[in-house]
Amino acid sequence: MDRRTFLKIIGTGVAGATTGNLLRPERASASLGLSGREFYGILVDTTRCIGCRRCEKACAEVNGLPVPDISESKNESVLKKMRKTSDTEYTVINSYKTEKGTIFVPKRCMHCNQPGCAAACLVKAMKKRQTGQVTWDSNCIGCRLCMISCPFDIPKFEYGKAMPRIQKCNLCYDRYNKGELPGCVEVCPTQALVFGSRRQTLEEGKRRIAANPNKYIKHIYGEYEVGGTSHLYLSSVPFEQIGFRKDLGTRPYPEYSTGFLYAVPFIFVLWPIAMLGINRATKGNGKGKEEHHG
Amino acid sequence: MNRKVIFFLVSMAYLVIIMYGLYSVYNVEATLRIKEPPSVNPENRIAISHTELFGELERPQVVFYHKKHEDALKKDGESCNICHLANDENVVVFDFPKKVNKKDKTLVMNAYHDKCIECHKKKSRQNKKSGPVGCADCHRKELSAVKIEYPVFEFNFEYHDKHVKKLKEKIGKDDCGLCHHSYDITEEDEALALVYEKGTEESCYYCHEFGKKRGPELTAVTKAAEKKGLTVRKASHQQCLNCHLKYQEEYLKKGEKEACPTECVKCHTGKYKTVAELEKVPRPNRDQKDKPFINIENSRMKGVTFDHKSHEKYSKTCRSCHHETLNACDTCHSLTGKPEGNGINVANAYHNPFSGHSCSGCHNKKKEEKKCSGCHHNILAIDVDTMNPKKETCIACHSGKKDQLAMPKPLSTAGLDQKKVKNEIEIKALEKEFELSKFPHRDIIDKLVKVSNDSKMATYFHKNIQTLCEGCHHRSISEAEAQKDTPPNCRNCHMTAYDKQNLHKTRLLSAYHRQCLGCHEKMELEKGRKCKECHKEKTGVSAGITLMKNQNVVKQNSSKIINVWRPE
Repeated sequence: MDRRTFLKIIGTGVAGATTGNLLRPERASASLGLSGREFYGILVDTTRCIGCRRCEKACAEVNGLPVPDISESKNESVLKKMRKTSDTEYTVINSYKTEKGTIFVPKRCMHCNQPGCAAACLVKAMKKRQTGQVTWDSNCIGCRLCMISCPFDIPKFEYGKAMPRIQKCNLCYDRYNKGELPGCVEVCPTQALVFGSRRQTLEEGKRRIAANPNKYIKHIYGEYEVGGTSHLYLSSVPFEQIGFRKDLGTRPYPEYSTGFLYAVPFIFVLWPIAMLGINRATKGNGKGKEEHHG
Repeated sequence: MNRKVIFFLVSMAYLVIIMYGLYSVYNVEATLRIKEPPSVNPENRIAISHTELFGELERPQVVFYHKKHEDALKKDGESCNICHLANDENVVVFDFPKKVNKKDKTLVMNAYHDKCIECHKKKSRQNKKSGPVGCADCHRKELSAVKIEYPVFEFNFEYHDKHVKKLKEKIGKDDCGLCHHSYDITEEDEALALVYEKGTEESCYYCHEFGKKRGPELTAVTKAAEKKGLTVRKASHQQCLNCHLKYQEEYLKKGEKEACPTECVKCHTGKYKTVAELEKVPRPNRDQKDKPFINIENSRMKGVTFDHKSHEKYSKTCRSCHHETLNACDTCHSLTGKPEGNGINVANAYHNPFSGHSCSGCHNKKKEEKKCSGCHHNILAIDVDTMNPKKETCIACHSGKKDQLAMPKPLSTAGLDQKKVKNEIEIKALEKEFELSKFPHRDIIDKLVKVSNDSKMATYFHKNIQTLCEGCHHRSISEAEAQKDTPPNCRNCHMTAYDKQNLHKTRLLSAYHRQCLGCHEKMELEKGRKCKECHKEKTGVSAGITLMKNQNVVKQNSSKIINVWRPE
């Protein structure tokens, strides 16, 4: 082996080792995007929600969806059954009977700090914006991987349409850019929804818990769940009683797969070289010497 | 250097890197989920597992049918001490196995096995009905996951009263020394160390609960109890059951089957009496004063005349205020705090807003009740600490007058000015969508006055009607408003717009809803919980929600937000 080959091999090895470290998934800072701009989100105080469904109506009006009937008699029958978000309802309110009375829980996209849907999207239609919103784009090909990857069962598919796409809450990204509040926050009559930067909403949530130690349980759902989410929830009863999953862990969902995915090319490049090296080392020595001298 | 060696080393280094990469990728932390075993009805059974000693068990735990054994042994004329240890004075110590080093795994295991199997074998040799001797007959797999837990027994005032009366019947005089004792730490002879002196009765927890003791003297006493392993559980079983066993026969003969129970579930019922149920029961007499005058020397505040007698009725145990000692507060809580009082000074001992033992803590608890919490849920308990209370608030208790507890007159609405205090107020916040909401201002005042006058505590503390106004007009300063002659409006503080900088600020729409609904919800009123009771639908207008343009939202340089952040 001449000097050049040797240096090449060593160089590739060093480069491989360093990139290997670079590619290992690091936990992104919870509320700051890479540019230093903050993630925005909503603090949902389930103790304040009165189940009026005005947020559902506002959401429909803002997004041009069929506007639901939120008259009181209708609400009663609607709130009886558990609902999921759908392609025409980006936010739904469910009611739960607990020992502290009926609790209404608005359910919508949690806007994870590191969203599984965005990591799973093949065509980068699902995006995590620098200001925290997880939005979808028109280049969706309808593969529905985001639906599988979402721990909260949020993205919904337009099964009824000829050219179906994924639909979900986008935290009123357009309205945000115009400097307006998300529709649901704007109309909430009890300020159960509070919009602000994640730092602010987290602060406010913690302040409320500290000020009313008997009222709230000492946990903000979404502070650490799946690596943190932009939607934060406060509750007076343990979260599993109001339909939240407690088994998600604090590891962001993309982290489960990115490590493996980045390792694939890594192995593809390095494994043959290693094998070649072993091959060269163990093969008969006469031939190699001849090459060197020649 | 040999080329071959270099090749080999480099390849090996690569292999190590690859292996490390694979390891770090696949070594994902697993989330551990432990399922809690279901709690079952105890039915006089005891689960024997000693996991604190054995750790993970090789075989399933043994569920021991205590009552069955008790009955079977009684039939054969055996007493408790066939299994349990009796000391020299024939006091049974309810402990099993007998005299075994409790820290040696094999000894404990063998003791169980020897004792149980030996007895079972003996009985079957005598051709009597006997228990199993095979392993799996006791270590039953289907019972391995059940959790048998007895609810704590509460020796409430009713039981105490019964015991005192029965005892007086038996021996003709009050002798509290049968149960109450104190431990003389200076006495060298252990047999004489347990002494009783009238007027020093304390709760069992004082000495028999380890780990949270205060002061050097007490620590020594608890250590002595700890050495003997006399936890509250063991001490009370020993104390109660020995006496019960002694007198049980006598009561059975008399036909009083329920008296003197020795069965587990007869005491551990899991049912507890409420304060209201116990109100009629006389409280034990320990020479306490009816209305002591609490005056701490050198304190900055005036003394408080405390109606001890009426407060006795509001708690379930003496311990709920007095901890375990039943001493006066200032024995342990001095002006600067003493180790006996856990370093808590007298001001905090009385005023801690969250403690169950302090005056403020207990009153705050009371304010959480249905009728009070309508207003009081908005008035944070923490305010006692963080904001200066008004002078009138302090004076309510700190009167400095000995033996005088003047009950103030009940509130009345007679003095209210009709012009200033309106009968009905129209609220326009949602006038685009609904008809105007009519707020029955005067009716609410009348109702609150009635609620306040119905409660003794409220009558005492709500000295004038302005106090009630502050329930809704919570940040208003009544003196200032009286001068200006203008009623305080909600919108003076609560803005219509959303304040993005101060998330804790409540906007007007939310302030109305939360104030009204919060109170109605807390007071569990059926009226006024539905939207249409306040908001009549407008006829002829399609009820669309008009999204307000927000003026207060700070505009970001929004046109440039096109960057996308992706997790890497």
